[in-house]
Amino acid sequence: MGDGFKIFELVKKVLFTDFVKGLSITLGYNVSRSITHRYPDEEKWIPYRRFRGLHTLNKDEHGRELCVACELCSKACPTQCITVIPMEDDTGRGIADRVAKVWKVDLVRCLFCGYCEDACPTRAVRLGREYELACIDSRCNVRQREELLHPQPTPEAFEGGVVARATFIRKKRSIKVKADLMNTKKRSI
Amino acid sequence: MMPDISIILETLLIVVKAFIVTMVLFVMPLPLTWLERKIAGHIQVRLGPWRVGPHGVLQPFADMIKLILKEDILPYKADRFLFVLAPVLSMVPAFAVYAAIPFGESFKIPGIEREMTLYLTDMNVGVLYILAVSGLGVYGMIFGGWASNSKYALLGGLRSSAQMISYEIALSFASIGVVMMANSLSLVDIVKAQGGSLLNWNIFYLPVGPIWFAVFMIGGFAESSRIPFDLPEDEGTLSSGFHTEYSGMKFAFFMLAEYIAMVTISVLSVIMFFGGWNAPFNIPLPIPPIFWFVGKVAFFIYVFMWVRFTLPRYRYDQLMNIGWKILIPVSLVNILLTGFMRIG
Repeated sequence: MGDGFKIFELVKKVLFTDFVKGLSITLGYNVSRSITHRYPDEEKWIPYRRFRGLHTLNKDEHGRELCVACELCSKACPTQCITVIPMEDDTGRGIADRVAKVWKVDLVRCLFCGYCEDACPTRAVRLGREYELACIDSRCNVRQREELLHPQPTPEAFEGGVVARATFIRKKRSIKVKADLMNTKKRSI
Repeated sequence: MMPDISIILETLLIVVKAFIVTMVLFVMPLPLTWLERKIAGHIQVRLGPWRVGPHGVLQPFADMIKLILKEDILPYKADRFLFVLAPVLSMVPAFAVYAAIPFGESFKIPGIEREMTLYLTDMNVGVLYILAVSGLGVYGMIFGGWASNSKYALLGGLRSSAQMISYEIALSFASIGVVMMANSLSLVDIVKAQGGSLLNWNIFYLPVGPIWFAVFMIGGFAESSRIPFDLPEDEGTLSSGFHTEYSGMKFAFFMLAEYIAMVTISVLSVIMFFGGWNAPFNIPLPIPPIFWFVGKVAFFIYVFMWVRFTLPRYRYDQLMNIGWKILIPVSLVNILLTGFMRIG
């Protein structure tokens, strides 16, 4: 730390070099693109396949329900939010003659751990990529079998991890953000 | 006896001009708050206001409605008279400054053969008037802090008075150099003395010009109590300083005064250091001088916001050190140097 160093430091202070450095960094950020997702108006994040969102009940290629109402999912559930009531059915609704009369999940209690899909012997229960679960009525927190059997808007084959163009749909009873899966882009963060 | 028709017209013109200037200043904080939040957003790689109107341009109106509808709280045991007076006291000097600020030279109105000046008055003590009147604004802050019956507000008021006293000196000394260059305190004369080209601007009067400007700008940041010198409203330690207890329109008046102070400092630095409405070089196109003036002022307003989102706040002792130990000696030496240069 000689005198030369001290003089150098003084010159740096007089010329405001630190300020200039800081200001140039913020100017660089000011002109760079924002990383904000314009959700829900224009864009929507499509999660990766590993994402654990709303449950789905799958069907096989002939349209038969895979669920055999073995109740393993409700046994495995740490919060006991899944209720399964089995019944006998030989009309070909399911893959076996035992199908679920009631299969419902209480989303308020569910912690989306994925134990139910691990426990399922027929891969009927999967946690999908649907994450907009808010609604205006507390009854809709319990999702019934009929609702979960509908295929989710993001198909299993879709890779995910992208931002899709989306439209914001406002209805009287609910709001929805509909993503356009054909028009997506990766975004570095 | 009826007064002369031209005197009536002259008076009417001045009233109309004063009205226009006041209205513009009243409306000015609306785009400035939007701009500030937008710049904050983009510097932090966000979007800023977006939802109200296209690109959030209607956000200031939403804020205005909110401020008008908010409950006007008067704190328990507050000094009622001073509490109401303080926002007005801080706002009126901010407006009064503009009586002496020129926005351009006089020009002939086409059609009728009349001279029209783009300033309210060309005071022969313009610089002095502006420095004196803008210094009065601090009374609003002190009274607001005192009348609120709150520790935070009182500390904020004390800090603001100490800060204003320290930096007013440096600010005035920095403007003395400019006055020496133009041999006049009138702002119109100061701008005229910088006419011609870029090299006649005071900032390029080497080596003292940049030092004047640096001292003036640092003092200006402190005078308008913006970051990095916003000690009077330091959120971290004083919750929000002298206007902690204010809400609704009274709070809006304080904000108005702060934004107008920022515009004033930008306008002054353009007039005193960057040649006012003079073009930087000869352009054959007929560009009106007001364009250059507004452009330069807009740039300085951006600089104010840019600095706000770059630098952290100074500590209180650092603030005092910069003011008394650095800025005042530097500006004094600078006046001496300028004097020698003017002789030579």
